[in-house]
Amino acid sequence: MSFRTIDELEDALRAADYLPDRGLSTALFLSLALEKPVLLEGEAGVGKTEAAKALAAALEARLIRLQCYEGLDVAHAVYEWNYPRQLLHIRAAQEGTVSEAELFGQDFLIRRPLLEAIDSDEPVVLLIDELDRADEEFEAFLLEILSDFQITIPELGTIRARRRPAVVVTSNRTRDLHDALKRRTLYHWIGHPDLERELEIVKLRVPGVPERLAAQAAAFVRELRGLELAKPPGVAETIDWAQALAALGRQELDAEVVEQTLGSVLKYREDIETVRDETLARLVEEARTAASRS
Amino acid sequence: MAGDALLRHVVTFGRVLHEGGVEVGPGRVQDALRGLDVVDLGSREDVYWALRQTLVSRQDDLEVFDRAFRAWFLRSPVEPAARSVILDPPERQRGRGSTSNDRNGGDFADARTHVLVASTDELLRERDFAEMTPDEFQEAKRLIAEIAQTRPRRTSRRRYADPRGDVLDVRRLVRRSLRTGGDPLERPYRARKTVPRKLVLLCDVSGSMALYTRALLLFLHAALGSGPGVEAFVFGTRLTRLTPDLARRDPETALERATTAALDWGSGTRIGASLRELNDVYGRRALTRGAVAVILSDGWEREDNALLGREMARLQRAAYAVVWVNPMKGSPKYQPLAGGMRAALPFVDRFLSGHNLRSLEELAAVLAGIERRRAA
Repeated sequence: MSFRTIDELEDALRAADYLPDRGLSTALFLSLALEKPVLLEGEAGVGKTEAAKALAAALEARLIRLQCYEGLDVAHAVYEWNYPRQLLHIRAAQEGTVSEAELFGQDFLIRRPLLEAIDSDEPVVLLIDELDRADEEFEAFLLEILSDFQITIPELGTIRARRRPAVVVTSNRTRDLHDALKRRTLYHWIGHPDLERELEIVKLRVPGVPERLAAQAAAFVRELRGLELAKPPGVAETIDWAQALAALGRQELDAEVVEQTLGSVLKYREDIETVRDETLARLVEEARTAASRS
Repeated sequence: MAGDALLRHVVTFGRVLHEGGVEVGPGRVQDALRGLDVVDLGSREDVYWALRQTLVSRQDDLEVFDRAFRAWFLRSPVEPAARSVILDPPERQRGRGSTSNDRNGGDFADARTHVLVASTDELLRERDFAEMTPDEFQEAKRLIAEIAQTRPRRTSRRRYADPRGDVLDVRRLVRRSLRTGGDPLERPYRARKTVPRKLVLLCDVSGSMALYTRALLLFLHAALGSGPGVEAFVFGTRLTRLTPDLARRDPETALERATTAALDWGSGTRIGASLRELNDVYGRRALTRGAVAVILSDGWEREDNALLGREMARLQRAAYAVVWVNPMKGSPKYQPLAGGMRAALPFVDRFLSGHNLRSLEELAAVLAGIERRRAA
């Protein structure tokens, strides 16, 4: 699957239930056209991971995801030997009949996401999720892989990618990534969507949600993002919340139902308290006005 | 459009960005050209995004980019084909400047509390530097030098064969078991090495800090002597790097020279501008990356609190942890009300005082215990 124009890609993303803005479609399109990884940065919940999933769906490619965390190492990111099987194999075989080459061969190799992506014959979208969580040394290691698309396993030799995977790297920007890595990637900052787009997204993701309720929920979340919160809600939270509200059979927002369901929008106690202090009723009123205007 | 004209355009635009402080290497210009090659040059929106995504790599630079895009494509004489490009960049939604998910004082492992100065005069340890007699200060000097030897450490990612290690080296074990028919007779172990973490020290030498700078700079001097990977700066109206100077000279002479260099008498402390220089000049060289940054200052910003907040956010993202040492905090009545201090605090992982020996010991213990990055 390949796309000749940004519009074509955009249509395919929409078909995969993802509503990109023009900037994001351009970034993904360029990433494919230039065969360069794209770095998506933005607050939690703006749809960075979803974008990679949608891209895989649009390309009819397999999504391989590497979730990063502190302490992530080669054994969990690239490959590992299946030691228990190796030992059992030696024991089961007649003494002296097992060679080292056999023991460290494909049969005993556990393939982790990076090896899987490089050594694949089918089209692949490789998602390296939340790279800012991994250690800097891992980042340097990743950089090598992203420059040559090859992996060396001492016992097996070098494995080169026969087709380059499309690579999406995401970061919540809890720390800056290395300049060297950024030089190898296209960069796109994803902001929160505007009110109309967010409403569109909610309607797409929560089928059957009452129009007015969705509009008010989107407007309310927008108000929340204007407050000084520890974790401003992302689109993912808006969707969760709209789902909860729809499940309660609501047609409209009011202070009472907001109070009951605030936990699906705000994930920190401090934030929930801030919003209560901000007089919830006023926010609800403002959201209702904003929603009726749009 | 003629390829040459486009090339000239993009190269010149790159230069405009560079003037605005955005690094644009030749690789990026090439990407921009390749990008423009595959998008519709008639769509200003697509051109805007293609240039932005290839030429910019940090959110902080987006503002400069937008300004440059507007300025350059508006005033430059262009060929007809490129005229459609000359328009404002599309509306851009931006998130908040920084992600501050978890600021509940940092998530450091328990500080291993070192008893650094065993049983010296307790009174001296509690005495405010500002109130010490010359004799007491002589004694304090020696202790400061001792305290400053403690360094933050990090574990390296690689493991090394080590019989006392914590992790079984299974790869080697399997290989050796081959000889013994699958019986793991030997147990090879591996361990991680710990190596000193980078340490960047910044000391405020402006007038309001006068009573403390001598002691704190002695601390800087001794820390520099603790091994490689330590950088020391002083700032007042501007930033001065002390590392080479302080490593060579007698500390007191070096301090005097540095203080003169960092101060323009008659103008106020510019912490924000000094940090910007640190981030721009030294941050680029990865000097602050992964380091523990320690700022020793009373937080009296005389110019631009917003700038100070922004630069602190940048520093915090680059650094492993940011520690702020404020001698005024030693006073029981102290509250961080100075505008600069308030602007900086959200980006500080540890906030300590630094007015006496005891508080420097505390600093050393914190530095020794900083083992984990704040929660993401």
